[in-house]
Amino acid sequence: MKFDVIIIGSGPAGYVAAIRAGQVGLKTAIIEKGKIGGMCLNWGCIPSKALIESAKLFRKISKDAAKFGIEGIDKKSLSFNYAKAVKRADVIVTRLTSGVEFLLKKNGVEIIKGEAKITSENTVTVNNRNLEAGNIIIATGSKSVKPKNAPDVVVEVNDLFTDREIPAHVVVAGYDAVAVELAQLFSVLGKKVTLISPADTLIPLADPYLFDHLVSNFKKQKINIVYNTTLDDALQAYASNSLDINGESIKCDLLINASPRQATLPASDVQFELENGFLHSDKDCQTSVSNVYAVGDVNGKSRFAHIGSAQGLHVINKIKGVRQKLDLKKYPINMYSIPEMAQIGYTEPELKADDVDYKISEFPLSANGKAMTEGTNEGFVRILSDNKYGEVLGVQIVAPHATDMIAEASAYMQLESTIYDVANTVHAHPTISEVFMEAGFEAVDKAIHK
Amino acid sequence: MKYIFNFPDIGEGLEEGTIVEWLVKKGQKVESGDLLVTMETDKVVAEIPSPKTGIISSLFGKEGETIHVGDALVEIEIEGVAGKEAVKEVEKGSDLEAVKEEGAGVVGTLEIAGNSAVLSGSTEGIGTIEVTKETAKKKVLATPVARAMAKDMGVDINHVKGTGPAGRVTKDDVLQHAESTTQTVSTASSDTPNVENKLVEVEPLSQIRKTIAKNMIRSKHNAAHMSLFDDVEISELDRVRKQYKVKYAGEGVKLTYLAFIVKAVTHALKKHKALNSEMDTENDKMLYKKYYNIGLAVDTEKGLIVPVIRNADRLSIREIAMEIQTISDKAREGKLNMDDFKDGTFTITSYGSIGGKYAVPVINYPQAAILGIGGISKQPVVKNDQLDIGLVLPLSLTVDHRIVDGGEVSRFMNTVMSYLANPVSLIME
Repeated sequence: MKFDVIIIGSGPAGYVAAIRAGQVGLKTAIIEKGKIGGMCLNWGCIPSKALIESAKLFRKISKDAAKFGIEGIDKKSLSFNYAKAVKRADVIVTRLTSGVEFLLKKNGVEIIKGEAKITSENTVTVNNRNLEAGNIIIATGSKSVKPKNAPDVVVEVNDLFTDREIPAHVVVAGYDAVAVELAQLFSVLGKKVTLISPADTLIPLADPYLFDHLVSNFKKQKINIVYNTTLDDALQAYASNSLDINGESIKCDLLINASPRQATLPASDVQFELENGFLHSDKDCQTSVSNVYAVGDVNGKSRFAHIGSAQGLHVINKIKGVRQKLDLKKYPINMYSIPEMAQIGYTEPELKADDVDYKISEFPLSANGKAMTEGTNEGFVRILSDNKYGEVLGVQIVAPHATDMIAEASAYMQLESTIYDVANTVHAHPTISEVFMEAGFEAVDKAIHK
Repeated sequence: MKYIFNFPDIGEGLEEGTIVEWLVKKGQKVESGDLLVTMETDKVVAEIPSPKTGIISSLFGKEGETIHVGDALVEIEIEGVAGKEAVKEVEKGSDLEAVKEEGAGVVGTLEIAGNSAVLSGSTEGIGTIEVTKETAKKKVLATPVARAMAKDMGVDINHVKGTGPAGRVTKDDVLQHAESTTQTVSTASSDTPNVENKLVEVEPLSQIRKTIAKNMIRSKHNAAHMSLFDDVEISELDRVRKQYKVKYAGEGVKLTYLAFIVKAVTHALKKHKALNSEMDTENDKMLYKKYYNIGLAVDTEKGLIVPVIRNADRLSIREIAMEIQTISDKAREGKLNMDDFKDGTFTITSYGSIGGKYAVPVINYPQAAILGIGGISKQPVVKNDQLDIGLVLPLSLTVDHRIVDGGEVSRFMNTVMSYLANPVSLIME
């Protein structure tokens, strides 16, 4: 059977590419050995966000209910049923994955369940079927590095959102969004949490300003942080539900492996050039073999679902002759911490390294009416802009819905907008987004409500 | 379903083409076979038909942009599910637009660009005047930073090729434009010491300039140019002209020397058929033309164009004068159309009104000859062995020596001169 495009992997990079390929009239097949939707839908973004929402509601009820005028809640009998929260997440996951399956079929994409093997630059075998393809897109994602001979206390992220008990002392090993979100989730649920980072930061891609905010937040939430310690280090220091690190004894009933992940490479007779274990690919995501592309986690360019999707779309467009540019700096990165954090564009250290003449304009949530009504005042919008033309070079947000608010910044970045455009964009009142406009005013001249 | 239609290979070895005009708009409904776009390539100007029936959801590239074979041209929504109401609305609007554009006739004038037998083949000066005006009116799509940067750097953003979505000019485009302009300047004047960027003004070649260049070279390559110069004393013609000039002026007709010259030339061409001919080397034939369409080289701001006075032999001098007037008015207003340039058989270039006596004009290939008219001046002449003040008109004739032999050239020149010297003979034949 001959296809225009064969896509291996149905995570957000693969399935989005498949739907688009179908839309533009390419004969397309998508091969999935596990579950449609991949890590993001089944074990990552979606279930974790569902649980974080449960946790936020739990916290609001236990902490703020009385303040908001809701009486009759007996704090003592208030408890969190992890298994039920997971069940709610499952319903969402099922709905989304079947939605993806529907969309694939609707757009004429053939779904093949099985493990693919690339046998040449334009042939793939799956379930003893030989498929021919004009183009192959590898979207096999990434996987966790499982420690050898790990004790039972170690749990993979994929096994976390199941019907299980979460013990009192949780240790999360890793950094970046996944580790940070899990640490905060379990802390809100009343667990004693320690976050062990393999580096001297918690969010390597983020501006240090966001990092500092996060650390002070963790301190308030009494989350213990240990830097420069890998999962292997932790396991060496592990003995009977306790970690002995730097002379400190940390209780550990559950050790979550959220360590940096490695590429899931597909079986292949064709040799691909690798880069730090990931599939090397050029600016258009083409691998070292022509007509074979790598999108999403597997190419090591980024670990975010939406960036994988964007790469998938880019490749289909390229196949159809539409020339575009993939600019990773124009994609937002989100963190579902409490409150949320989001960032796009350049960070301060990057601008300094490039010798850019920039300025910072920040406006806090503390003076924002809508934020107050929601019972929060923590957060800010921070704009980094170029001094010469006023171009918006980077935006960082901490706010209850920072991950939604960053979309505005994405549009500014995509359109190469200036701080004047930000200031001239009218924001409805009362909204937390008004803070964005105020930061724009601040950048041009002076904020109104400061 | 969305269908992306790529720029197809419409000619052998074709690699790229320039979008001359979009014939459809976003949101417009097209039937399979409807024309989508006029593309100009180095060989032809072609109208590309739609391969599908549906609604145009995207146009890739804007007018004037060059795209490669295989690049996306349009995106067509086949059986648009995106709401029939919306589609209807758009249709209504686009119908009106279409009617408007028909009137402009831009396509007609550009159709045979670069593929014409006449020098004026591209006549873009005429067609494009409207196109340029329209682009200038429209605000170029550009990002705010690109605008600020272009303004700051003194770059005309209208001249920057946009690579962003829908041809939007981005920051990088402005930087690259500025860089490439600087580079061109420095290479162009590399032999000038201490070159400042401002010493050379860089401008892209206009279509008309390209066509002129191509046709000039084609003529010089293919024809064997030979020239003859002579003077003719035209006091008598001047007297006749003055006599009628005022009368005609009252009737709104400007009687010029050129009208007489055109008449003289057509009479002479009838007597010397080789000068009104064309050599068909492919079929080993000579084509002697029994019609006399006299091209007049006109100097315009955009460049040289050569509109034609058709069947000049059947027109009176008065009619020729009127025709010349109409042509030059149209040329000035950019209103000449393709028909005004077609099928010239002989060309007259009248540079004398600007300055210069003799020139070696380049034949408007594949015609056989071109006559240059120099500036008329009072000069000492010998009449009846007496020195007298004469009114002298210098003539420069270039012929294709493959077609016309030397003797015939002189004979033709003599005939023209005798008509001009004795204007009465012009109406006697």
